[in-house]
Amino acid sequence: MADRRRINPPSGPTITPIFLASPSDPPTQPPHRTRPPHEIRKIFLKTGLTPSASGSAYLELEPSSSPKPTTCVDRSTSALKLTCTVHGPRPLPRSVPFSPHLLLTAHVKFAPFASKHRRGYVRDTSERDLSVHVETALRGLLISERWPKSGVDVVITILEAEDDGPAFTEGGSGGAGDGAGGLSGWGMMSVLSGCMTVASAAIADAGIDCSDLVSGGVAAVVRQPSFPHTQTGASKASPKEIVLDPCPSEHADILAVCVVGYLRSRDQITEIWTRGDMEGLPGEEGSEQSNFEVLLDQAVEAAVSSRLVLDAALKEATEYKLQKMAPALPSSGEKVKGSD
Amino acid sequence: MPPSTLLSPSELSYLHSSLSLDLPIRPDARSPTTFRPLVAETDLLPTTNGSARLCFADGSEAIVGVKAEVERTIGASSTSSDVFARGEDGDGDTKMQSAEEEMNEERRRLARGKGQDSWIEVTIDMPGFARDDDGVVVFLAQMLQEGLVADEGLRDRLWIGWGWHWRIYVDILLLTTPNSYPLPLLSLTTHLALLATRLPAPISRIDEDPLFNDDWDAAEPLYPPSGSAHASKPPFTLLVISVEDNIFFDPSREELAVADAVCAVTVGTIDAPVSSGKRREGTPKLRLLSLRIIDPPARLAAATSGTEAEDDQGAWRPARGGMKRAVVGKMVKVVLEVGGVGEEVMTGLEGFHDG
Repeated sequence: MADRRRINPPSGPTITPIFLASPSDPPTQPPHRTRPPHEIRKIFLKTGLTPSASGSAYLELEPSSSPKPTTCVDRSTSALKLTCTVHGPRPLPRSVPFSPHLLLTAHVKFAPFASKHRRGYVRDTSERDLSVHVETALRGLLISERWPKSGVDVVITILEAEDDGPAFTEGGSGGAGDGAGGLSGWGMMSVLSGCMTVASAAIADAGIDCSDLVSGGVAAVVRQPSFPHTQTGASKASPKEIVLDPCPSEHADILAVCVVGYLRSRDQITEIWTRGDMEGLPGEEGSEQSNFEVLLDQAVEAAVSSRLVLDAALKEATEYKLQKMAPALPSSGEKVKGSD
Repeated sequence: MPPSTLLSPSELSYLHSSLSLDLPIRPDARSPTTFRPLVAETDLLPTTNGSARLCFADGSEAIVGVKAEVERTIGASSTSSDVFARGEDGDGDTKMQSAEEEMNEERRRLARGKGQDSWIEVTIDMPGFARDDDGVVVFLAQMLQEGLVADEGLRDRLWIGWGWHWRIYVDILLLTTPNSYPLPLLSLTTHLALLATRLPAPISRIDEDPLFNDDWDAAEPLYPPSGSAHASKPPFTLLVISVEDNIFFDPSREELAVADAVCAVTVGTIDAPVSSGKRREGTPKLRLLSLRIIDPPARLAAATSGTEAEDDQGAWRPARGGMKRAVVGKMVKVVLEVGGVGEEVMTGLEGFHDG
């Protein structure tokens, strides 16, 4: 150690002190899901917010509902907030060898303040991994041979990420993702779903030829916690169930998550990322489907729901663009035809 | 990493159409689920806890060494009342053997749910990728680690006692330049190395500083062998490609070049208490640990001169869009079913370790 003159901060991350509530206070409950299992969170999506980029979009999910407002640090709920900018298509630099296609590169970056753990400015492995996922999801839908010798950069910044499960809560056992400082937790999976939807909107905003739009959907196998004070006589082994669009802070025990990037009009999947133990689902009797297929179908269901928002946002943006263009257009339609 | 094949567009087209037949014909006349022969050996590195070398038919070769280190668990809260309550009911050192077994059983019981993801580290060294944060390397390491940490049994076995745990380093060295997706090679080698990995047997109690038996013969395998009560196997990842509605295992470089979609399927064993009456001996039930779609190389590399108006009679063009849901379901089914590909691979690899 060369630097002996300074008092260095601790090398690892520190944990904010969590004080026990005084006995007079009612115990703070962890947030729990108030939506029905098949309903996804409300999505705010708007395109064209970054004027300097050729296409851009912003996506926000509503924060998970807390039973009552609390000042407890650990219970603060966060929503997902993403921006995506698309730069290009632009000519490839001279150093890059010839390509008959449009070369797509995705950069996913967490803002340093996006999650409870601070992220550095250098991309870490989970961010690089997310970029690979987003690239896979998007490559399938670009009609890339229309843009030879050019490249497009998709840059996604995560302004606020979801918590990776109850990492700091006492006794937050169970979920495979909540190892302290471990591999990316379950929150990563819904971040990926948001990334795909927002990138798809931004690419459409940039006017790059696509064969379809990709929308992200997440489904999870959760074990519902049995609150001793809310449920009377709940059985010890609470049943597993599938929920769409899980918010990691709302579920104490997430067993498996499946993310898909789904092309609705083609009924195809460009991206799947599944993790976890999906055995022992309460499947329908006599159905041939495996547990994985059941989960996959539910994830597609979630993607179909988010596609509705994507469609509406793009329609709104197109109408706005047409409105803005209308006075600029020449009055007679024939001239426009001729110039085309 | 796109595997560049020197095939002309018409050759690619021929290959693609023969693979998309009702009864597909592969260039080397294998059936869709047949694997190419491979050469493997285990326990070749003397300074590791477990190691393996595997050589694929296409000449690519990898070595994996697994090292384990004892480490202090940061922030371990030893609920001391728990410790002492447990500590007192172990009565009598009359029979050394039974006391030891009892301790192991207790350790196993207490370890449940205490393992952490960060105790397992996977690093990959590939020639041609100077930067170890290259997208490909990161993706491969992440994929392999994802499979390992998905197994709660493994994480919990790394727990030694209050405040101490094993840290496992899985170091993967690819010896040859990758000429196709190296994922299955790396994963199968890792599987073999972990199968051969043994950890020194602890002789200290769980609330003491760890002390180990110095007899290597007494070391416990990291994955309990089949036949024991808690038998489990390391996970492995298979590469599966789809062409139209057909799926193929262990694709060669040429087949990868015309794949419509590529999937990496990671499977592991269920190490729940086995109801051994129902199942055949030595065939643990498989479960899906993770699944990912990978970019088919065709989208990146294929030199296509085709225009859009061209119909399917002309030169083959990489398919646009994604996979059908039914195809993904089929892949998973073929891997997981009883007597399916997953079981075959697992028993095949075990043969290398025993032999």
